[in-house]
Amino acid sequence: MATVHTSHRTSPGTGADPGTGTGTGTANGPAARGSRRPLTRSAREAVAGWLFVAPSTLGMLVFLVVPMAASVVVSFFRVSGFGDQRFVGLENYRRLLHDPVFGSSLATTGLFTVLFVPLLFTASLGLALLLQKRRPLIGLWRSLVFAPHVVSLVVVGLVWQFLLTDHVGVVNRVLDGLGLPAPSWLGNPAFALPAVVLISVWFFMGYYMVIFLNGLNDIPASYYEAARIDGAGRWRSFRHVTWPLLRPTSLFVLVMTTLTAIGAAGVFDLIYVMTKGGPDYGTQVVMFYIYQRAFQLNDFGYSSAMAAVVSALLLLVMFVMLRLTRGGKVDA
Amino acid sequence: MSPPQVPRSSPYGPYAAPSPRRGHRSRPLLSRRSALKSAALTVGLPSALTGCGSARAGSAPMSFWNPWGPAKGSDMAPQSDWFTSLARAWNARTGKDVALTYIAGETYTNGSKLQTAFLADSGPDLFVLSPGDFLRYANGGVLEDLTPYLSDEARRDFVDGALDTRTVNGRVYGLPMSLQPHAFYYSKRAWERAGLAEGDVPRTWDQFLSVAEKLTTRRRSGLLLETTPGYLQNFCWYPFMWAAGADAVDRTGRHSGFDADGVVNALRFWQETVRRGVAPRRALGSGSTDIVANLLAGYCAIQHCGPYGVGQLRKAAPHFDFGVFRQPVPHGGRYTTVVGGWAFVVNRHGRDPEAAARFAVWALGSMEEECVRRVARWCAEASTDLPPRKSVQQHVAAQGYFDDEAMRYFQREVLPGGRGEPRYPPNVYQPVSDAIQACQLSGADPAERARRASGLIEDALATYRGARIF
Repeated sequence: MATVHTSHRTSPGTGADPGTGTGTGTANGPAARGSRRPLTRSAREAVAGWLFVAPSTLGMLVFLVVPMAASVVVSFFRVSGFGDQRFVGLENYRRLLHDPVFGSSLATTGLFTVLFVPLLFTASLGLALLLQKRRPLIGLWRSLVFAPHVVSLVVVGLVWQFLLTDHVGVVNRVLDGLGLPAPSWLGNPAFALPAVVLISVWFFMGYYMVIFLNGLNDIPASYYEAARIDGAGRWRSFRHVTWPLLRPTSLFVLVMTTLTAIGAAGVFDLIYVMTKGGPDYGTQVVMFYIYQRAFQLNDFGYSSAMAAVVSALLLLVMFVMLRLTRGGKVDA
Repeated sequence: MSPPQVPRSSPYGPYAAPSPRRGHRSRPLLSRRSALKSAALTVGLPSALTGCGSARAGSAPMSFWNPWGPAKGSDMAPQSDWFTSLARAWNARTGKDVALTYIAGETYTNGSKLQTAFLADSGPDLFVLSPGDFLRYANGGVLEDLTPYLSDEARRDFVDGALDTRTVNGRVYGLPMSLQPHAFYYSKRAWERAGLAEGDVPRTWDQFLSVAEKLTTRRRSGLLLETTPGYLQNFCWYPFMWAAGADAVDRTGRHSGFDADGVVNALRFWQETVRRGVAPRRALGSGSTDIVANLLAGYCAIQHCGPYGVGQLRKAAPHFDFGVFRQPVPHGGRYTTVVGGWAFVVNRHGRDPEAAARFAVWALGSMEEECVRRVARWCAEASTDLPPRKSVQQHVAAQGYFDDEAMRYFQREVLPGGRGEPRYPPNVYQPVSDAIQACQLSGADPAERARRASGLIEDALATYRGARIF
């Protein structure tokens, strides 16, 4: 252990060999040795491990945990945004029960999730299966599918807004040319949410395709060969080899897309750029409503109460998902 | 969204790192000293990167947030130049410098930057406000009273009503930069192609719908009204309600006036434009007042806009032939329009509110000849708006500003009878917005939505504490 201690006190630049104890440091006399006990290897690894995770942990604490805790505290106050706060207890939570817009925003979020998650899952998996095999120009095709994800969502929103313009947008011109009805995609409450869902799926599918590709590539080719020898066709290979071995990836995608949908991560930008929650609350997901109440109506306490309830709902959804999948141990 | 960790789906079970050989000694991964240094760096780095620190440094210039400048190279170069020369002129004559901060229009009006800054007690020393947003800040107690710095002569110089929406209990809290009464612009080419003559300019709502129908084609809407929920949509809808003899809040400012026939008729008119297919459900560009993206692009044949649309059209397409007509009214209704316009306001919790107030008054509310010329430059050169002060009106008139047919029409026909944009608190604005959206885009029953909104407005007013609503 003394040898390790010596090297520990030595500047890395001296090149002391920890295995031989020939360090060149001068402060490694008996007194120094006696006053500082060297760390064991496992302790050193533990320290190193903590230091590696420290930046992320600190980031999470500063930018996530502390603001969340502060938000919960704020939810018990009436905050105008100009320095005056008044403790109101549970009043903000009571208001939630009688706010029809909060209820409809939750319903819209639920509808968005129900449409978005299965569509995105299917599209991503389908693309991954389609682009799995090495073929000429496969890299180009994969890049093209992934390309939307590297563009800012604001740009995506602006481009699609242009494409979906009433009367003169490309989409409606094509539909018009085919003799099909050309609705107001973003101006009609019946079409606005489906349009936002489709654009969101288009944006995210390349990213989740890459994740599915990673999962598919981890399945040994010998399994498919064995299935083929046993007489399995494409569908049975997928059903009995791909699907079960892809379950961990599928679970991951399912969890992440559900969180994306409920938490409006990514979707918020689209709604902000394209519809501002309209038409007539047609795309008013709950996160956008929270934003509006806070920053356009200066109702920070009430918004914090909504955020707390939505966070609790998210935790509940996660709890149910983990219970259904036995803590994510899908292979157990 | 931060990229999530990709799971391994190996059928061989979870990944396990190879264990080190027993007895093998390696160099320590990190010394304690370097560990401490790393920790200190980890803690300090975010602060260093974000530049956290006091925003109230004594020698720092006063910050002036605005959506115009400095923004070199953009379409707003004239406005930006006006702002930069304003700051330069002030900085040259005093020791209390003003530093401009440009915030893009959409972020300024619909974003969270200004609100977040005030929430964090680090709002700008000076900023601009529209009447629609005035009460929020006035009731928040963050606006500096400009009255002590404003001479009686200068105050009287403002056009009647120009200061009303920026005044609380007789004290002035904001100085308007210009007046922007809204009217309808139309494409003369589209007009002629539809077989319409100048005498067909609509004066009533029925005529308005009829003309819009004639102007509607497969690729072009006859009329464009605002469709996106927000302050702008309410702003554009109010004159229809007023022309029908109704108001969102009664004259006392304590009760709702929204459950009235005039409101129902105004909601129904907007609904009819969409139902008949003469107005689109979406506007192009930044909205229904973006005259270049809509009228000039041929997306619609008629749209509403302030006098600034004249300058925008002439700059974008000097040969585009357009006309202007004032707000049509329902049968038996009385002409009115909504008059918008931004105002300089001062943060009373800023670094030096007194100096900031002196700056605002020097810039827009002084009787000095240079101030009159400055406001004239803003109204007649940087933009095409109507002057908020009589002296400025005389100044630009002497320079031939109203020789222009469109500007003369705005000054003589559109502005008289106009009413300043109402200052409603958020809880009054919101039910109005909801009613407009539901009727215009979802085909809801206007009478039922007016009743529902009226109830919500009544509830809001019952607990409202603050400056008078009108």
